[in-house]
Amino acid sequence: MANEIGDARIRLPEQIRKGEVITVHAIVSHPMDTGFFRTREGDAIPAYFIKDVVITYGDAEVARFEWTSGVSRDPMVTFSLRADREAPLTIVWTDNKGGVYRQSANVAFATA
Amino acid sequence: MHSLLSRRLFLRSAALTAGALLGAGSLRPADALLRISGPEDPEPSNEEVARILRELAAGRPIRRGHVSLDMPAVAEDGRVVPVMIESDLPMTSESYVKDVHLIVDHNPDAHLAAFHLTPAIGSCAITTRIKMKRTTWVRAIVETSGGELWADYTKVLVTLNGCG
Repeated sequence: MANEIGDARIRLPEQIRKGEVITVHAIVSHPMDTGFFRTREGDAIPAYFIKDVVITYGDAEVARFEWTSGVSRDPMVTFSLRADREAPLTIVWTDNKGGVYRQSANVAFATA
Repeated sequence: MHSLLSRRLFLRSAALTAGALLGAGSLRPADALLRISGPEDPEPSNEEVARILRELAAGRPIRRGHVSLDMPAVAEDGRVVPVMIESDLPMTSESYVKDVHLIVDHNPDAHLAAFHLTPAIGSCAITTRIKMKRTTWVRAIVETSGGELWADYTKVLVTLNGCG
């Protein structure tokens, strides 16, 4: 994996019409270690995973996800959003060691 | 006696097959034969899952319907198993899906994820990728703003342990 822990991307549709329900794709680089694996040398790999994802649209929190280490490495998620105004969509991922990773994308409407 | 028993077994397996076929409408044909699903809801596989379901239900019924949990019938790599959860329930300020719970019976952390939603989401449709330790039932349970619980279940065959 070339990316560093916490590198994150949000993908929105290229053309958004006001009021439509869009699909948002989000991915963050993270090992999502369960704590159940060991290294080749036999040392336990401690649990290290994203546990909290907060999605904010403009000033409003629109969704919040609680995750365990059962979500796959480099966790991706897609969800819907009703694009009823032009505003930034911000996602904040927090891991169990206090790491906080943030990414934003602008919901902007296609000009006619 | 012997023939009666055989007849019962035959009827039971015929009923299970019919149930599996009826429930398989949205599946690709190849998956439909491998998907194990009967007319009954799956019993909790262990005490931990029973506890999670009791806490979620809090005395209310968990009914099958209004939710679709779409996963491969066979997961060759338990480290990366795609999951899609969708609901046809409304997402308006009057009535919406407020919580989506994903439970994997035989995983070390059975209550794998919870997705808390608001009407601003517009529709309840979530996809992600999860780890699975071994063949097990997977449960998607949603709670509405009015306190109703709806669910879908699917059994996934896991060939490579993705949890260690």
